[in-house]
Amino acid sequence: MSTKGNKTFTKEEELLLQDFSRNVSTKSSALFYGNAFIVSAIPIWLFWRVHALEVSSTLAWFALVTVASTWLLALAYRNTKFQLKHRVAVRREDAVAREMSRKLADDKKMSRKEKDERILWKKNEVADYEATTFSIFYNNALFLTIVILSSFYLLRSFTPTVNYIVSLTAASGFLALLSTGTK
Amino acid sequence: MVTKFLIPILAITLFSGAKAQSCQNPQVEATSFTSLDATIVTQIAYITEFTLKCDNPLPENYALYAEVEGKPLSAARIGENRYQVSWTEEPSTARSGVHEVRILDEEGWASLRRARRSDPNANVAPLLAIQLQHPGSYSGPWVNSEVLATVLSILIAYIALVQKSKILA
Repeated sequence: MSTKGNKTFTKEEELLLQDFSRNVSTKSSALFYGNAFIVSAIPIWLFWRVHALEVSSTLAWFALVTVASTWLLALAYRNTKFQLKHRVAVRREDAVAREMSRKLADDKKMSRKEKDERILWKKNEVADYEATTFSIFYNNALFLTIVILSSFYLLRSFTPTVNYIVSLTAASGFLALLSTGTK
Repeated sequence: MVTKFLIPILAITLFSGAKAQSCQNPQVEATSFTSLDATIVTQIAYITEFTLKCDNPLPENYALYAEVEGKPLSAARIGENRYQVSWTEEPSTARSGVHEVRILDEEGWASLRRARRSDPNANVAPLLAIQLQHPGSYSGPWVNSEVLATVLSILIAYIALVQKSKILA
């Protein structure tokens, strides 16, 4: 593949990637919601065992806050992924193109256009995967840090129930808000 | 505090009537206990129990007194020639190492008090001295688990933020 060809493709590819980004596939959506649920549910243990929160009387709050936090975190994952995917694609495009051209070089029957499409598809797949996993890591790390900081230090003097509700909703709400930023 | 203690002690010495026969060639067998876990107690306890053997027979109510680092204590009689000395200290002031428990009989105690009146640092040779070893007490881990969790999570969050800004750069 010539450099010229590569350059012309970058613009198209950018448009294509942006198109792809907001539409989260079912698989990735399941990954987001599953992860968000697990991460939202983990603090229950912290509040139950460490902050001595009475479980039986707080079950409704647990359910409500976990659902809200799952939704907000999944939103944050999606937005962060969208932010990242494009940049990851740009960073990975050379390596992916090189690898795919080497792989497809032997195939004489395949047309140039099809090869390029394959490369594009592969780039999209790689970028999607990396952006998804990094987005989950990034949001989980920030979420748990905020929950720990607020529950142990900022809201220490409040009752465990208030501490739980405020810590989790604030953390997930903050991340959801942060992810909508256009930085 | 010393004077507050001095009066009852002197009273006991003066009015007990039965002049104690002092112990000849004292031999002692002592066991001791100190609190090791300061996380569950508010005071560090030091206890030593000892059996006193003398060449001469001792009277039934032979009283002994103890002094530990200037603190006057009385030895409780807990059995036939068996005594117990115990005291408590704040965990912050309880030092580890050997604490010398100086045991005196009534005569020795009275002469110590007399000597102290003129010179507060005066010392009288004790009847016997017991070395109480306190290895130090455990007052919780150096780093609290919550602090550790906070530090680790901040570290991971920092890595995440740095990586994100690298990708977006």
